Amino acid sequence: MLLQAVVNGLLFGAVYATIGIGFSLVWGVMNIINIAHGSFIMVGAYLSYTLYAVAGVDPFLSIPVVMTVLFVMAYVIQRFMLNRVVRSSVFITLTFTFGLQILIANVCLLIWSADYRSVKLPYSSAGFQIGGVVIPLVRLAIFAVALILTGLFYLFMRRTKTGIAINATALNFEGAKTVGIDVYNIYAITFGVSAALAGAAGCLISPIMSINPFVGGPMVAKAFVIAILGGLGSTIGALVGGMVLGLVETVGTVFIPSSYQELLGFSVLVLVLVFRPQGLLGKRFY
Amino acid sequence: MRSKAIVLGILAALCIAAPFLLTGFWVRLITFTFMFAVLASALNIIAGFTGYAAFGNMVFFGLGAYTTAVLMTRVGFSYPPALLCSAAVAVAVAIVLGMLLLRLKGHYFALGTLGAAEAVKYIVENMTRITGGGQGITVPPLRGNPATINTFFYFMMFGLLIIILVVVWRVSKNRLGYAFKAIRANEEAAGVMGIDTTRYKITAWALSALFTGITGSVYAYWFTYIDAPTVFDVMWVVKMFVILLIGGAGTVWGPVIGAFILETISELVWSRFINLHLGILGLIIILVVLFMPRGIISLVSQGRGIKDLIPIRRSGAQR
Repeated sequence: MLLQAVVNGLLFGAVYATIGIGFSLVWGVMNIINIAHGSFIMVGAYLSYTLYAVAGVDPFLSIPVVMTVLFVMAYVIQRFMLNRVVRSSVFITLTFTFGLQILIANVCLLIWSADYRSVKLPYSSAGFQIGGVVIPLVRLAIFAVALILTGLFYLFMRRTKTGIAINATALNFEGAKTVGIDVYNIYAITFGVSAALAGAAGCLISPIMSINPFVGGPMVAKAFVIAILGGLGSTIGALVGGMVLGLVETVGTVFIPSSYQELLGFSVLVLVLVFRPQGLLGKRFY
Repeated sequence: MRSKAIVLGILAALCIAAPFLLTGFWVRLITFTFMFAVLASALNIIAGFTGYAAFGNMVFFGLGAYTTAVLMTRVGFSYPPALLCSAAVAVAVAIVLGMLLLRLKGHYFALGTLGAAEAVKYIVENMTRITGGGQGITVPPLRGNPATINTFFYFMMFGLLIIILVVVWRVSKNRLGYAFKAIRANEEAAGVMGIDTTRYKITAWALSALFTGITGSVYAYWFTYIDAPTVFDVMWVVKMFVILLIGGAGTVWGPVIGAFILETISELVWSRFINLHLGILGLIIILVVLFMPRGIISLVSQGRGIKDLIPIRRSGAQR
């Protein structure tokens, strides 16, 4: 039972990492807490659900499409709206993303109604056993894809010109401008990449979780915990944070009644903030 | 100065006459607007003056409402002592949470308060024996005919609004207010100048909690039924922040102006498009943030032109 919980936690932890990386990227680079990050995940999950329901596209295959759609959407939002206020106070950007979250949730409500939706894959019950621990194939595939995405993101940030420009902008805004980086374009790309990862995470959760227009909020709380645990903007940190959160949640269910589940998440959030705001690994930035 | 006093006098006279001239619907609506003005003013103390974005402020509203409800139904208190207990609980919780969370800055504080508020909500919801859990709790209603009750709560909220406005006005002119503003402008510098920042921040939050808790208590007595998802709803805080942004944060009248504008818009627009209710709120938030983040009051008080409404690529506003 406990071993099973540990395995489940680790498998799902990779998805949490994907969620946390995008969130912590935006936070680290632009000092924006994106409350709408959960909504991006939700939109990703809805798109994946729709592609499956209408055209029978497997959620794993719809990932590139969904990522593109979300990248464009977020790029436009940042380029034409958020960039206007991005350098002002916490108060303003936080309120803006809150508004965005409410707006997206309402649009989703109008399109997909308040019913719970999920993708029922034909191979959802397939799996195998190792020493009494059941490993469902879908969850394993989700784990693998999430790890691949995390790896690709890591390479993107280290090896590509754009990734390095993002790092530079995060480290020194004025300096980046001086060396000829179009910082506001970089901001838009950063927001786009973050949303694309959120969209991918949405595709990944669509076969194993039910979604409705109101799941965005709790997701943000999780993304926040992961980002804090891992340290801002750190890919490896987000991976560790995601795994830790996955473990705490699944192992927690073994010991704690399910009605206290949500409480557990928020308590972890507050405790981490109070005792280890610098993150588990104690490293900020890249 | 004299013309200001005359305007205020006329406004006050109108407010006092209103419940005797208007229908029940309008009286309730204005009561509700007063309530938001009080809540936003309370938030203004910690967020506007001191610069700490307390996104979890509903925790005090919820605790105030629940304290009153539980004491009146389970213990048999009458309303006035229950109200006092609500205020005390809110302040006590603010002090404890403040000692833990006010060490954090910026986003960390904002999200910390949000997390704490959600955690308290789930605790309240899970204490089924005492709080009724998911079923909520029904408060013994005030006896009398509906019109009298409407008027009663109208004056409760109106009185509360007057009190908080006087308090905020006094505070903004004295030592306490200068300390708050110094903390907002530059906390390290304020500390160096000999301001005990921790104590002042906790004072600001406790003051904010006091009024939020009292409002929660009045709300419980007014609506006679409360449940945790409503009285701890984060959306209310978001609305308060929008009110502050519309009206102008860190000013005495900003929250009142903001509350009236937002409630007017909501009456005009939302009631006709019930499905789009939240979407329109979201849109308003986005537009307000983009086009007038300093608030309407900045136009009046500082004689700014319309072009100043359009921000700020790099205004290094308060952090």
